Amino acid sequence: MKQEQRVLVIIPAYNEAENIVNVVKHMMETAPQYDYLVINDGSTDDTCDLCRRENFHYLDLTINMGIGGAVQAGYVYARKYDYDIAVQVDGDGQHDIAYLDRLLEPIVSGDADVVIGSRFLEKEGFQSTLSRRMGINILSGLIWLVSGRHIMDVTSGYRAVNKMFIKIYSEDYPMDYPEPEAIVAAIMHLGRVREVPVRMRAREGGTSSITFRKSIYYMIKVTLAILICRMGYGIRRGKRVDV
Amino acid sequence: MIPATLRVTLIVAMICYFVIILYFLKQKALNLKYTLLWLVAGLVMGILIIVPELLVIIIRIFGIQDNMNGLFIFAIGFIIMILLSLTSIASRQNRKIRTLTQELAILDKRVRELEHEMGK
Repeated sequence: MKQEQRVLVIIPAYNEAENIVNVVKHMMETAPQYDYLVINDGSTDDTCDLCRRENFHYLDLTINMGIGGAVQAGYVYARKYDYDIAVQVDGDGQHDIAYLDRLLEPIVSGDADVVIGSRFLEKEGFQSTLSRRMGINILSGLIWLVSGRHIMDVTSGYRAVNKMFIKIYSEDYPMDYPEPEAIVAAIMHLGRVREVPVRMRAREGGTSSITFRKSIYYMIKVTLAILICRMGYGIRRGKRVDV
Repeated sequence: MIPATLRVTLIVAMICYFVIILYFLKQKALNLKYTLLWLVAGLVMGILIIVPELLVIIIRIFGIQDNMNGLFIFAIGFIIMILLSLTSIASRQNRKIRTLTQELAILDKRVRELEHEMGK
């Protein structure tokens, strides 16, 4: 029974024409047993044309909605087509598909509801810059303060969720810079959040969505978002959702 | 007390205000749902101008010194409320647009698949 769980790999892509073909082809070679879905988030380059030409499975969002809206579209799709597990993988090639099974394992065995691929657990592969690691540590500490859980790589967009969280995230997923906030939401819904070590690569091409100038805004926005998200659940936490 | 000429000016301004809002409502350029706050604000301001004794009582309660100041504070208060409601409307619409875009994309994929199956 557990072998028959249907897995959807969600690959959000915004102006990733340089990477998207490699990422998806690599995915189809390494893990052909899983369905994938590219989400073209209103790209202005030819990301969408490439997907069409290569006959990929893709959703074409007519309006750019940011990573949160794009990923949520994947969760809505996963819920609509009754997938058991959804995995997010960035469309820029930073996340190594080889670690997919490691992410899926705790969910398939029923030990976790949300699994986060963390580059800091074994400190292997691309570790990001010092200033970003500092920012990530601050957010990690903040999440520990509000939720009591230690999550190291809170900005990692490489994560897998089970059916319960496909439902929760398809109904309500944070916008703009969603990753840390989504963790708080998961803990508040009494989800069992677990980190597994993965290796990440530096980007293959294109540019990161977070430039240095935006990083101050990022920290302020995410800090507020975490606090407001925590407030939304009050002292009593949310309830587990049965699916 | 508010000087008589100023009261006349304010009353004329209030009449213009209501005429413009009602005109827009009639033209269906404004949605009544989102205009209610404008109408309530105008009504309260109108009453305060026409019955200045009421204005005097109210501003004493709040500790405001000058009658005109009181009127300004009420006007600013209403403007902030209206702006806040606009922000909330924009946020709600943002959410609705998001849902629509996502559903549209999923339907778009379904149509592509069906066309493919039909061998177009």
